[in-house]
Amino acid sequence: MIYGDRNLGVIVQNITGRQGRFHTELMNDYAREVGGRGVVAGVAPGKGGQEVHGVPVYNTVKEALREHDATASVIFVPAPAACDSVMEAAHAGIDLAVVITEHIPVHDTMKAVAYAKLHDCTVIGPNCPGFLSPGECKLGIMPAHLATRGNVGVVSRSGTLTYEVVDELTRAGIGQSTVVGIGGDPVIGQTFVDALARFEDDPQTKAVVVIGEVGGNLEEEGVRSTDLPVVAYIAGVSAPPEKRMGHAGAIIEGGEGDARSKVRRLAALGVPVASRPSEIPGLIREVL
Amino acid sequence: MKLLEYEAKQIFSKYGIPVPKGVLIRAPEEVAAHLPELGDAVVLKAQVDVGGRGKAGGVLMADDATAVETARELFSREIKGVPVRSILVEERLPIEHEYYVSIAVDRSSRQPVVLFADAGGVEIENAAMADESAVRRVVVSTLLRDIPAFLMRELLGGAPKELAPIINSLYHAFQEKDAMLAEINPLVTTPRGVYAADAKLIIDDNALARQGIAVNRDLSEREREAEKHGFSYVELDGTIGVIGNGAGLTMSTLDLIEYYHGQAANFLDVGGGADQERVMHAVRLVASMPGVNVIVVNLLGGITRCDEVAKGIIAADVLPTVIVRMAGTNEEEGQRLLAEHGYRMLESMDAAVRAAMEVAS
Repeated sequence: MIYGDRNLGVIVQNITGRQGRFHTELMNDYAREVGGRGVVAGVAPGKGGQEVHGVPVYNTVKEALREHDATASVIFVPAPAACDSVMEAAHAGIDLAVVITEHIPVHDTMKAVAYAKLHDCTVIGPNCPGFLSPGECKLGIMPAHLATRGNVGVVSRSGTLTYEVVDELTRAGIGQSTVVGIGGDPVIGQTFVDALARFEDDPQTKAVVVIGEVGGNLEEEGVRSTDLPVVAYIAGVSAPPEKRMGHAGAIIEGGEGDARSKVRRLAALGVPVASRPSEIPGLIREVL
Repeated sequence: MKLLEYEAKQIFSKYGIPVPKGVLIRAPEEVAAHLPELGDAVVLKAQVDVGGRGKAGGVLMADDATAVETARELFSREIKGVPVRSILVEERLPIEHEYYVSIAVDRSSRQPVVLFADAGGVEIENAAMADESAVRRVVVSTLLRDIPAFLMRELLGGAPKELAPIINSLYHAFQEKDAMLAEINPLVTTPRGVYAADAKLIIDDNALARQGIAVNRDLSEREREAEKHGFSYVELDGTIGVIGNGAGLTMSTLDLIEYYHGQAANFLDVGGGADQERVMHAVRLVASMPGVNVIVVNLLGGITRCDEVAKGIIAADVLPTVIVRMAGTNEEEGQRLLAEHGYRMLESMDAAVRAAMEVAS
């Protein structure tokens, strides 16, 4: 398992918001199903003392941690305040912050990620679906019913595309160790390099699917950094330059980060690259 | 959003970066009134948002005798297809040397990166390709207000020390204006001091609101309409309309169309948790594009509910052209509704795209 198992104690920041409320319930449904601890407390400034689906709410992360044993936080705080919440969590001693929020200004993310690092807090996201280790724990918004336990890791910049690939893998009888969405923004806490390093240390993971897209060159950096067998898929071969394809980070800039050159460079490193999601299970079987 | 040169220069100037004396004109005759303050030799620069503007004929030299005629000539041009609506008229600087400096967001280190080259100007990209050491780069911690002196020394190498405070000011502008890119190329030395001869500033779209910028001008009209409904939307040249949820899945659908040798007309991500009304607007928006004769809807319900999607498609009422693939939350109810109304549904995105290809061809 990477990032955590069923013993992970979790808090949710902005638990009283629409998304926080909804996904706290789903995360705890999953925790009950697999015998995990799940969300033990919530945070919402000014709303301390309330309860959300039986989970007590506190005004600050510090207060929540005084009463509960938790080391991870899932952040549903709206964009203008989201990075402040990451820093609050890191400052209070949280080890792992999963930031679901999208549309966060990049300068905020740079600051929050740098500040979290000073406090040894790992940040996943922002603009990400979180992670799911089937049978162990789920932090974030992934639809857990698509996944099955197994030994293939999945790391991705995209949400729904990840679900598509997980669905393909599951239907092909290939289970997953951990599925992690690292986010679609230009600056993200966990990159492919970081996630792949964790997969490499995880005895359960035998191979990894890397799902990338146009923009930057983090996929190649990640693949170069690992000894694990990897299968890649890069979305956006049809994307025009200088246009943002939905994600803030999915943009071909100054002739860099286009999907075709990414595919070429990955192939040159000996990585099988799927030309469509449905080819991924077959390629994974070959490398396993 | 990319600012025009004169806007970027106004901002840089506020941060204490010297810029040439200049005025913005919207008609050729306006130039005459400003010549006394600008001097005899001027540069006329079309304010258009295109790369390689100089080479495309968007920058012209003139003197006091030819300025009005040159302005008239420039206003009559299209620079890479973009009409010239305003011109920045500037004093011509006695340039001694041209440098290059830019500050960008570095995805790998997740911090700002400053690039500097001893040889600036239009050929910087080629110079950087030919010789990687031509461009020096330092990564700065975003938690620091200033670029530390030791990094500045590393960056400048043998270049004049008087450039340092200007680069530091550029760093302040980069930080405070939520820039994705802040660039001066060329940064020039003259007998009178250092100037930003050109200026480029790209503001993070997610920070436009707090920067007090109301609309992203870089968007087309239909793109702006899409933004109003909360869609991510990009127009392309093909005939097959695409609606999906999630940027990755939608992009992947476009790629699949290309894989089967078709051409997508657009990218439209309805976003998370789209309800009936939003889906209806999405379908109508794509159906309204000229040349679109079939629409593929590819949806994976998570937060988004398939029955809401189905109701939206039905409400849009553009029946014969919609092919649907949807799975996930409430998919049975959604499929029942669509079937009742005679819509075509397929089980995988591969099958849906192949079916759309048949209709399109």
